[in-house]
Amino acid sequence: MKHLYIKIFIALLVIVSCSKDSDEDYGQNSSQSNVQTTTNSSSGSTTGTTTGTTTGTTTGATTGTTTDSSSSQGDTFDRGSILANYSENIIIPRYNTFKSSMDILKNSIETFVNSPNSDNYDALQSDWIDSYKKWQYVEVFNISKAEEIMYGLTMNTYPVSKERTDNNINEGKTDLTNPNDWSAQGFPGIDYMLHGIAETKDAVIELYNSESKYGDYLLTLGSVMNENTIQVVDDWTTYKDVFNSSFDNTATSAFNMMVNDFVYYFEKGLRTNKIGIPAGRFSSTPLPDKIEAYYYSKNSFGNLSKTLALESRKGVEELFLGLNSDGLEGPSYKSYLDYLESEIGSSVKTKFEEAALRIDDLQDNFLTQISENNTLMLVAFDALQTIVVNLKTDMLSNFNIAVDYTDADGD
Amino acid sequence: MNINKYLNKKQDSSSLAIFRLGFGFLMLFSVIRIWYKGWIKELYIDPSFHFSYYGFEWIKPIGDYTYLIFLVCAISSFFVAIGYKYRISIILLFLSFTYAELMDKTTYLNHYYLVSLISFLMIFFPANAKFSIDNLISKKSYEFIPKWNVDALKLMICIVYFYAGIAKINSDWLIDAQPLKIWLTSKYDLPIFGGTLFQMDWVHVFFSWAGMFYDLFIAFILLYRRTRPFGFFLVITFHIMTAILFPAIGMFPYIMITSSIIFLEPETHKKILDRVSSVFRKYFQKVSSVTNYNFKKAKFSQTILVIFFTVQLFFPFRYFLYPGELFWNEQGYRFSWRVMLIEKKGFTEFKIVDGETSESFYVLNEEFLTEFQERQMSFQPDFILEYAHYLGDYYNNNGYNNVEVYAESYVTLNGRESKVFVDPNIDLMKEKRGFSNKEWITELEDEIKGF
Repeated sequence: MKHLYIKIFIALLVIVSCSKDSDEDYGQNSSQSNVQTTTNSSSGSTTGTTTGTTTGTTTGATTGTTTDSSSSQGDTFDRGSILANYSENIIIPRYNTFKSSMDILKNSIETFVNSPNSDNYDALQSDWIDSYKKWQYVEVFNISKAEEIMYGLTMNTYPVSKERTDNNINEGKTDLTNPNDWSAQGFPGIDYMLHGIAETKDAVIELYNSESKYGDYLLTLGSVMNENTIQVVDDWTTYKDVFNSSFDNTATSAFNMMVNDFVYYFEKGLRTNKIGIPAGRFSSTPLPDKIEAYYYSKNSFGNLSKTLALESRKGVEELFLGLNSDGLEGPSYKSYLDYLESEIGSSVKTKFEEAALRIDDLQDNFLTQISENNTLMLVAFDALQTIVVNLKTDMLSNFNIAVDYTDADGD
Repeated sequence: MNINKYLNKKQDSSSLAIFRLGFGFLMLFSVIRIWYKGWIKELYIDPSFHFSYYGFEWIKPIGDYTYLIFLVCAISSFFVAIGYKYRISIILLFLSFTYAELMDKTTYLNHYYLVSLISFLMIFFPANAKFSIDNLISKKSYEFIPKWNVDALKLMICIVYFYAGIAKINSDWLIDAQPLKIWLTSKYDLPIFGGTLFQMDWVHVFFSWAGMFYDLFIAFILLYRRTRPFGFFLVITFHIMTAILFPAIGMFPYIMITSSIIFLEPETHKKILDRVSSVFRKYFQKVSSVTNYNFKKAKFSQTILVIFFTVQLFFPFRYFLYPGELFWNEQGYRFSWRVMLIEKKGFTEFKIVDGETSESFYVLNEEFLTEFQERQMSFQPDFILEYAHYLGDYYNNNGYNNVEVYAESYVTLNGRESKVFVDPNIDLMKEKRGFSNKEWITELEDEIKGF
């Protein structure tokens, strides 16, 4: 008996020394969130979404997960099916859709720079709008290659920095990897290049005709965006299998990172950046110049901010419900919440619809909306806020997503 | 039993020596682990703001010198383990570790509190009486130490377990099986059981009841000689299981397992120590063995311990002094052995109002807090109040006047749907920090029966 204790004790020491906590892989992940945090607080922000809406381009939709949403209680719920549904029916199709529009955008940039005329300008502008809308459906996927190359931040950090962009134009800068250049490229960068360097269409075209530096920088923007997009989209062909099978409950699993991305995007990308900051919710006065696609509205070319907000909201809603291209609900956060016998899934679903109405109540032109009746902006904000509350408290609590890399008591 | 007779009882000094070795090396390992994982920088140096315990605001991280605190802690742990200048080492260990723990309450952990308490107790005991470097220096070792030294340590562990058990006697835990229902269901990725048993309601209930009984009775099972081997088996099984199920609890299982070694029979302690020390026998040849350790200032130590344990016995029940639901308002929650008891998540934002111009805006928490701090702040009232005051002061010093601070706060507790947590009409700048009842916390509007 006495020897037994000794053996047990030694065995224990071995266990203690070998034991590995889940909090090991701390480094990688925190960098993600930290970077995002910093950028947001300083300049403006990031936002986005993608359109999976129609467009069936893909081969992605082939595989398994059709609609098998409701697993009855007591049965095992297969979290892997959520990932499979997301990657095959949502993420990859959305990326392919976006990539096509990105290709078109890049082409029309080249066409316009080669011959800057009114028709080419119109084509480019419309392709920019189309692509920007589709972007709203992919910005949320800050994972794997997208996370590694700061894809979201390079594509859609706004407000664009006029000063930085003017400098880059004058210097003929082509390497835009410096974080300070995030606010001088991507969709906001093109916005500035099309609607900000001069106040009218003719004046803008005139600049492209008179000085090549504008065309050069616009080409750079197009090719950087396109190259990054190719990297991210290509990565998914190999990453898909990793993604689909990474559904364990650890801080680094794809399942958990995806949940965090989703919540993060909804809170910052949609709620804070598109509505909250411009409406002055986080400052003592409204900051209309922080709206998305600012120069487009400012110089009266047209209005896009509301459309982008609506697309973004639709993108996260479809993700939450796991909608495939036929509009059917599949395995998703919603069905997972249902499995966990939480009412929150249904209640959030309703709130998503409510939020759509509240955003739709806004004028197309956010600048005039903010100056004439900012209250409606704040109403829209609150409609999103109530969803954020459910996602960050109820959903995360029910999923019990491991996010802490540090020790916690469970209290 | 006659008190004096009890106080004069002896126990083999191996018991304390074994405990000293286990505790010292475990602490050394803990500190290295914290260091290695980069938490010193992440938790103490990077954040611009730190949540302080009320009355301990003067204890803060000291920039890069914070590493020194942990260095002192590591070295003193090692010295305690090997019994080198034991008294000063254990005092330094207690001070450095406790200082580190008081720097930011975001990192509060029950078992770190336990570490502080044990190292405090150990200050008063001659744990270096045997198999220590101090023996080699003084050329003297001691065969026996007062039995009450060992018993005090046992009592400490008993309190931890028993109080943790009492805390589990409540309707959320026993009837609704919360929060284990949430936690176990989310362990779907564990092999074999994760996707099957852990998804079943009866398993959640079973684990809840088993956990309660374990905590309530394990100390008594360990105390009696006949049930002790079984108790030790339970301790290991239970804590290894919690280590697997809840990896985030870190060192807790190992600290409890190591601590429970104190319950073994003195003969077993002696046997283990003889084994370990046989390797070093030749060094100890010149050490002459003295029978009894001459305990200096015994009365003083005993008085301290009586006060210490009186406080320990009553302190966890201080929540009776507050109205409302303990799990909701957490008044008297910490330092009471409530371990793994609630699943709580919150969302809290603050509205800053300039009292003169009535201008107002909300704060983006990310500008002041780390993610970890924000998560902890969002559902704990004392964090919310402290942070509100910090924000108020900050904006008062940055161009705003008579700043008022209001919280928009939602919290979910043990699976209940989230609801408003802080009265949104209360200016938190007017609420004093301290131990008085926080009337600005809403009611849970649900009764959790039991302790």
